[in-house]
Amino acid sequence: MFVYLKLLLPRWQRRRVHGRSMHPTLPDGTIVLVDTAVYHHTLPQIGDIVLAQHPFQPHNKMIKRITAVTENGRYFLQGDNPDATETSDSRSFGAVRLDQILAKITHRF
Amino acid sequence: MKNLTTMINDLFPAEEANAHCDGPCGVYDPADARIKAEAVLSMTKKILALSPPSDGDATAWAAYLNTMSRYIAIKEEQAQKAKHELLVLWTDFFKPVHLEKYPDLHDTFWQAAKLCSACKVEVNLEHAEELMAAVEKIHKIFWATKGRDVAYYTAS
Repeated sequence: MFVYLKLLLPRWQRRRVHGRSMHPTLPDGTIVLVDTAVYHHTLPQIGDIVLAQHPFQPHNKMIKRITAVTENGRYFLQGDNPDATETSDSRSFGAVRLDQILAKITHRF
Repeated sequence: MKNLTTMINDLFPAEEANAHCDGPCGVYDPADARIKAEAVLSMTKKILALSPPSDGDATAWAAYLNTMSRYIAIKEEQAQKAKHELLVLWTDFFKPVHLEKYPDLHDTFWQAAKLCSACKVEVNLEHAEELMAAVEKIHKIFWATKGRDVAYYTAS
């Protein structure tokens, strides 16, 4: 049934949050639904929680919140966890390009 | 509905998306501090057990002073390293959410770090053993926060 649904709705994917940088919004282990097509016709907005490609780690797809858009049109990503002392986000790897924003998190289970 | 969601997740596990907040490697283990603290305890015992020569033989005194100097140097070095390892755990691994479950976390680390300083300065077996006890307590808290049952052990 699920495979059937997936064929019908290829733009939607489920992802499991791994790590605590989005705590408390999305605790470790939360299953979320991501929309891979929403940014085909709209631009990401500040406040959106997105699935993004890590700029230096090809296999690392991460969930972060867009907190700013830079003057050159790049997106600054941060975790929601206010306690992260060494968060792996744009404070360490810099703002990311539009094409590195892969999807928007739209629902959580 | 909840059961259906759980069933789907079990049958078709969702791909992971990273939300890491640790350092670049994310590898922490209180074993580093334990090994250094054990070295401090061992050196303290060796210093206390080393007897000076009974006569004025220059060669014997040279050997004694050389050995004692090495014991002292290693004790001080390892005490400093133990403090460093504890501070890394305290400031990088542990987060305020852990403090909710372990309200004495800050005091535990503060006292452990002060014991490292005391062991560096002094030759005090009691403080060296207290440092080991503090490291064991931190070991238990650390692995409990990760939900893992890791038995405490010592190398010596």
